[in-house]
Amino acid sequence: MDRILIDLIDITKSYDDQVILDNLNLSIRENEFLTLLGPSGCGKTTTLRIMGGFETPDSGQVIFDGEDITSLPPNKRNLNTVFQKYALFSHMTIAENIAFGLKIAKKTDTYIRDKIHYALKLVNLEGFGSRYPDSLSGGQQQRVAIARAIVNEPKVLLLDEPLGALDLKLRQDMQYELIRLKNELGITFIYVTHDQEEALTMSDTIIVMNQGYIQQMGTPEDIYNEPQNAFVADFIGESNILDGIMLEDKLVEILGVKFPCVDVGFGKNKPVDVVIRPEDIDLVDPSQGTMQGIVTHLIFKGVHYEMEVEANGFCWLVHSTDMSPVGQRVGLHVDPFDIQIMNKPESEDEEAVSIDE
Amino acid sequence: MNSHKKLLTGPYLIWAAAFILIPLAMIFYYGLTGEDGGFTLGNLLAIGTRENFKALGLSLILSIISTAVCLILAYPLAMILVNMNVSQSGFIVLIFILPMWMNFLLRTMAWQTLLEKNGVINQILGFLHLPSLQIINTPYAIILGMVYNFLPFMVLPLYNALLKIDRDIINAARDLGATEAYTFRKIILPLSMPGVISGIIMVFVPALTTFVISDLLGGSKILLIGNVIEQKFKQGSNWHVGSGLSLVMMVFILLSMAVMNKYDKDGEGGMF
Amino acid sequence: MNRKKTHFIGRKIYLGLILFLLYAPIGTLIILSFNASKSRAKWGGFTGKWYISLFQDNAIMNALYTTLIIAFVSAIAATVIGTAASIGIHSMKSRARTICMGITNIPMLNADIVTGISLMLLFIACRFTLGFSTILLAHITFNIPYVILSVMPKLRQTNKRTYEAALDLGASPVYAFFKVVFPDILPGVVSGFLMAFTMSLDDFIITHFTKGPGVDTLSTKIYSEVRKGIRPEMYALSTLLFATVILLMILINTSPKEPKSRTKDPSAKQRRLPVRQVIPVALILLIVGGGIFYRVQGTSASNEQVVVYNWGEYLDPEAIELFEKETGIDVVYEEYETNEIMYPKILSHAIAYDVVCPSDYMIQRMIENNLLAEINWDNVPNIKNIDPTYMDQSKSFDPENKYSVPYCFGTVGILYNKTMVDEPIDSWDVLWDEAYKDNILMQDSVRDAFAVALKRRGYSLNSTEVGELTRATNDLIEQKPLVQAYVIDQVRDKMIGNEAAIGVIYSGEAIYTQRENHNLEYVIPKEGSNVWIDSWVIPKNAENKENAEAFINFLCRPDIALMNFEFITYSTPNLEGRKLIEDEEIRNSRIAFPTGEDLKNCETFRFLGDDVDSYYNELWNKVKSS
Repeated sequence: MDRILIDLIDITKSYDDQVILDNLNLSIRENEFLTLLGPSGCGKTTTLRIMGGFETPDSGQVIFDGEDITSLPPNKRNLNTVFQKYALFSHMTIAENIAFGLKIAKKTDTYIRDKIHYALKLVNLEGFGSRYPDSLSGGQQQRVAIARAIVNEPKVLLLDEPLGALDLKLRQDMQYELIRLKNELGITFIYVTHDQEEALTMSDTIIVMNQGYIQQMGTPEDIYNEPQNAFVADFIGESNILDGIMLEDKLVEILGVKFPCVDVGFGKNKPVDVVIRPEDIDLVDPSQGTMQGIVTHLIFKGVHYEMEVEANGFCWLVHSTDMSPVGQRVGLHVDPFDIQIMNKPESEDEEAVSIDE
Repeated sequence: MNSHKKLLTGPYLIWAAAFILIPLAMIFYYGLTGEDGGFTLGNLLAIGTRENFKALGLSLILSIISTAVCLILAYPLAMILVNMNVSQSGFIVLIFILPMWMNFLLRTMAWQTLLEKNGVINQILGFLHLPSLQIINTPYAIILGMVYNFLPFMVLPLYNALLKIDRDIINAARDLGATEAYTFRKIILPLSMPGVISGIIMVFVPALTTFVISDLLGGSKILLIGNVIEQKFKQGSNWHVGSGLSLVMMVFILLSMAVMNKYDKDGEGGMF
Repeated sequence: MNRKKTHFIGRKIYLGLILFLLYAPIGTLIILSFNASKSRAKWGGFTGKWYISLFQDNAIMNALYTTLIIAFVSAIAATVIGTAASIGIHSMKSRARTICMGITNIPMLNADIVTGISLMLLFIACRFTLGFSTILLAHITFNIPYVILSVMPKLRQTNKRTYEAALDLGASPVYAFFKVVFPDILPGVVSGFLMAFTMSLDDFIITHFTKGPGVDTLSTKIYSEVRKGIRPEMYALSTLLFATVILLMILINTSPKEPKSRTKDPSAKQRRLPVRQVIPVALILLIVGGGIFYRVQGTSASNEQVVVYNWGEYLDPEAIELFEKETGIDVVYEEYETNEIMYPKILSHAIAYDVVCPSDYMIQRMIENNLLAEINWDNVPNIKNIDPTYMDQSKSFDPENKYSVPYCFGTVGILYNKTMVDEPIDSWDVLWDEAYKDNILMQDSVRDAFAVALKRRGYSLNSTEVGELTRATNDLIEQKPLVQAYVIDQVRDKMIGNEAAIGVIYSGEAIYTQRENHNLEYVIPKEGSNVWIDSWVIPKNAENKENAEAFINFLCRPDIALMNFEFITYSTPNLEGRKLIEDEEIRNSRIAFPTGEDLKNCETFRFLGDDVDSYYNELWNKVKSS
């Protein structure tokens, strides 16, 4: 693994008595595409702005490349930011926007001209140099903002919900564009978003945050498949979250029915949260199911069917490529390794299940 | 549907024609005719007499100086205000509007009390054994009066223009390596130009044309073009020359706006 | 970190300094409102008496309510017209919209003085009597743009589709507008209204040009008082107004504060509404109610009136009240500062005054220009009380005693502060003495200023010799750097407040100033000076001539003459009245009633003809702009 580039140590930040970040610790490695994911107000943007130098933490340190940069102003930091609403200079042409940082760095005119050309080509905006930002579409403006940041060859690029204002198709295109860019440039991307799909698509590492705490950190696969708590499970993808009782190792009781599972070490008769992804539930003949229910809703989603099954007083969400019509009696079966067992949160703070968006 | 809505403009247009356009036409009529009713340019040329010319020149100098002073004072002020807590923005506008509720003449009169030879300021200076300040009845007092009265007209458009600049635009410049000074020069100043321009016009025009401030703080020793015109209407009873001089003054107002608008590419400056 | 902190403190200091600059004069005014001394320049101890006498002062209260009513009505009218216009303009094609906005910008960007003058020209051309209604029309005119400019941006922000959605759901256009569009633009409408109200309240210049006799807003009232010193009641009133506004703002800003946790509790909003509505409604009731009350009080039952045009502070207000009570005739009272300001108003016929009080030479001019009506002496029997000496003296400008009734007389001389000059003063030369640079106050009117210069050189103050006048002009220009200020009635306050050592003053003012400041001495310079008479005359276009004669007759009554003498301290030609003066020292004062010896070299002004008059004006302009 590459060495650690940014280290946030015990960062605390609050506004008007409201704690935004509480003792946050985070290490970011070189060449990583790291995503801070969470609902609005979770502290992800504040974390990014602290790295960018636009906010000063109340306490804690920011270590960058082995140096404490906590109180260094933004212009002295070797990282660049792509802002939420692009923040292009509307009184300057695209070329002037891109040249802004280079001029400050006192680069030669030829160097600047070459860089502008290179950057515009990189973001597929050749020939736009003499236009003004107002005459560009949202996606184009976004790419200018990226070009403006990367020409300075920062070690880290901070991106604050850069695709938030774009429509779905454009957003997907831009996601691939960003991955390509990251690979071409070979630098660290720190990306902030509340869109879990975006995070899963692009990231090497995802950090799920809520109410100023890191809820889980891991690869997209880890986060999706092994959510560490109900919040993460609920926030990442769709899932069935239920109360359960861990009767003993490898046996959990859900809605009065015993399910075999693979988890051990919870103790006996311990209340737990149970997560089952909708695609992990198999609809089988009633006689073969662990539990029986009736299909109450059916929607065709293109790739699969989405169904709701009423069973033991719980409404199960099921994804399947096979269709079962509404009203049909079905059996529910879940493979033991698809059942995710999690401890119930112990403190108030951790119980951060409510999602604003 | 829309034609219905357009009818709503009717009363205003009639009003504007009756009370804005026709009166202006009357100034033109009076300004371009003599006492006998015949056409003449004499009233316009009256600006050429030494006294009137001097008054106009002095008005221009004083109003340009006070506009500049207003700009220099108001810009940092507006920046400070914008950086204050956003929830107080209504309050900020209020503290600059509030003095208007104390009558304009009384406010200006109060400066007499403050600036006089034995006035408050000189008594304080005397108490501190500092040399006294002798500016009452001089052009300096008039500049002070202009700055004092018109400063809010500079602060408010500047404040609004600066408020419109996204915080992240400034952050972006800093992020790209710009120092605070460079950010100000290259980003904040150009983006606030509409506010600067409307501020300049809002201060320059009343300063150029005032007769009250020069009356109250100049000890009637200093005649501005506004005083000359006012006297032509209220004392000299020569409405034709007065209108002619008003027309000349309007030329200077229009000229200043034309110059300013050249720099205002977007034309979106405003008080509101 | 430290740098940031000093930065922060620096900002606070700067902000504080600017706010100090903005509010220092206001603080001064508030302090002056508690000053027991009438003079602005002197602290006479703490008092609250002005706050009491304020409410007994009809003139000020009338001006206040006129101001508030004009501000309120003009703001409402402007809001209605302006909002409607904005909606119309908003739906126009861009070309028409540009033209409309261009017109809207004219009063915003044009100089107030030009707007005021242009409206005055219009009103006079249309034979509209200048008065309350013309002020109102003018205010509506300059208020509309403020409304349009604050409503337009809100309209641009509104989503057009919501209006269409309302129509789609079956709403009529009017219903849709009031239910959907109006709430969106309401903040703009309200701020437009407040802006208009404030602007109307603070306007002086446009009102100055469009007002007529008897109507005063606070601004014009104050302006008319500026020259002679503002009455402390004005300070008290402004302090009250200011305090009211601050109180209102505090109430609106602090009352039921939005709870910090952003709970969307609809009842919270409802709870706040009453406070927000009750205050303005109460205010409106107060304004309208008070306005009606004062109007009713002002216009008594009778339709009889007399329009009086007099010098500032030249008549005891109690005398007017007494006259109204005794005769049932309403007095519409208006003041002027100099003969030169008064004359064009009479000449223009824009306003029909019934009684005016010009000086000698101006009466001659008015007679020569056929502006005066002959007085019917049968209606003025009290003329017998006037000392025949002054009737004789009047013949110099009113040869047959047909047009004028002497009211006050006096001399022009030098008032000096004994503690600030080295030797007793007896000559005009002292006004050219370098030693008194910036300590000299000159009269700010043509004839008075020239009289000083001419007399100093031993010329007649009615000189028409170009050579003499040129020398006098040069002398005045030479003198200008020594002059602290050209003043009219302010000379009084400034001398009392030790602001200047020497001032040119009317003898009547001298008595008052000596009473306030015992170091002051009055002298008629040995070269001679001006002895003047101010007399009542009736303009030819007077609409109430008999009432005017009744008014003049009333003023000739000995008791009224005494009352006025004690109020204005100008010498009265009323022989019977003078006999009633109790204080023997004053009754025989040589300042108030100079002897032939004192008046040895004195002359009375004569009207020199329109041409010479404008020549004088030209020379005076040269002096003023040198």
